[in-house]
Amino acid sequence: MIEETLIRAVCAAVAAMGFGAVSNPSRRSFPVIAVLAASGYALRYVLMQGGGLDIATATLLASMLIGFGSLWLGKMIHSPMTTLYIPALLPMVPGMYAYKAVFSIILFMQNLGEPTLASVYLNDFFLNVIVTVTVILCMTVGASMPMFMFSRRAITLTRNRKKH
Amino acid sequence: MHNSQKLKEITVFIADYASVLLGSGVHCTRVIRNSKRICESFGLDIKMTVFASSIILTLTDPVEDEMCTEVVVIPQVPVSFELNAELSALSWRAHDNPVAIGELKAEYEALLAKPRLDSWVVTFMVSLANACFCRLFDGNLGAMAVVFVTTFIGFRFLRLLKKNRVDHFLAVLLVSFVSSALASFSVFIDSVDANIAVATSVLFMVPGVPMITGVIDILENHTLIGFARLMRAFLIVLCLAVGLSVSMVIFQKGLL
Repeated sequence: MIEETLIRAVCAAVAAMGFGAVSNPSRRSFPVIAVLAASGYALRYVLMQGGGLDIATATLLASMLIGFGSLWLGKMIHSPMTTLYIPALLPMVPGMYAYKAVFSIILFMQNLGEPTLASVYLNDFFLNVIVTVTVILCMTVGASMPMFMFSRRAITLTRNRKKH
Repeated sequence: MHNSQKLKEITVFIADYASVLLGSGVHCTRVIRNSKRICESFGLDIKMTVFASSIILTLTDPVEDEMCTEVVVIPQVPVSFELNAELSALSWRAHDNPVAIGELKAEYEALLAKPRLDSWVVTFMVSLANACFCRLFDGNLGAMAVVFVTTFIGFRFLRLLKKNRVDHFLAVLLVSFVSSALASFSVFIDSVDANIAVATSVLFMVPGVPMITGVIDILENHTLIGFARLMRAFLIVLCLAVGLSVSMVIFQKGLL
């Protein structure tokens, strides 16, 4: 369990830096993004596998960790919270559920003549949509929570950032 | 105190600043807050209405009792977190040490001119990221290697299509088809989890940034632009799934 958690944490860190690179983060934010993604993903994995929590609750708690981390580390490198926590959250975006929802619509349309199969695909569609929407909501609410709780600190993170 | 020409110059600058900031993937509240901060450094008030594709703003000089309105189209620029941070810092510098509009504009132009990360470095990083993502979905080393290669080719193809100004939705559909079709050939390699490789080969195009900023906008009461962002993200996922499903039907005779 510990070894698997560590491997997944490293993979999440690399995934966050790589997917984040598309959005052109500053070079000094890469290590912070890696640390936040690794710790958040590892927490979610442990909560789901070890703690038996569902994906939404585990994601909410992991995102809160990422959010508070971005508030604390953002002050050190004078970067806005969102530029740190958005890339760190990317490995937790439920992309697979999102496109399985689209698959379910396609399969539903292809099987309109067979009510039993059609209802299975309709059920799949709702399952995948509900998971996708709930996880994205939990991710964003969890990570943004510190922004609302400590708004003064959150809006002044880029103050005194040196010119580059 | 400002004369009309000066007020106009500041309004045009703020309109450009806000539109670039919004185009760079910043959520609405920050765009408004930063713009307000710069306006206050000139002793001006600002009122902004932000839509998905345009911004309407009015700057008021309370001393001279003058106002100036500008409507600006939000440019389709790639998301840039560095620009996001630098433009935010620029608003604080203007707030803490007010400077002339000319000086501020020069600094702003210099920030816009900063080069992005090298395209090949980004391609390598995205490919590595997607390979690691494959591991998070329990893919084995063989599947990770396949995903690395297909993502590398897919991402270069996406760049090529964007360079040739192909519509973004069409580009995502085509790249999704090509990446997953290439990954489908892994069914002939015994040591590869082909299903996981195919399913994760397109995940590098999942629009995580608009999904997250869309929800932030809705939470902060900018519902219209929030839904517009989420709708765009949904359409991208739709194109991605259609491209993937076409290749799966052709090469694997069925969906997941």
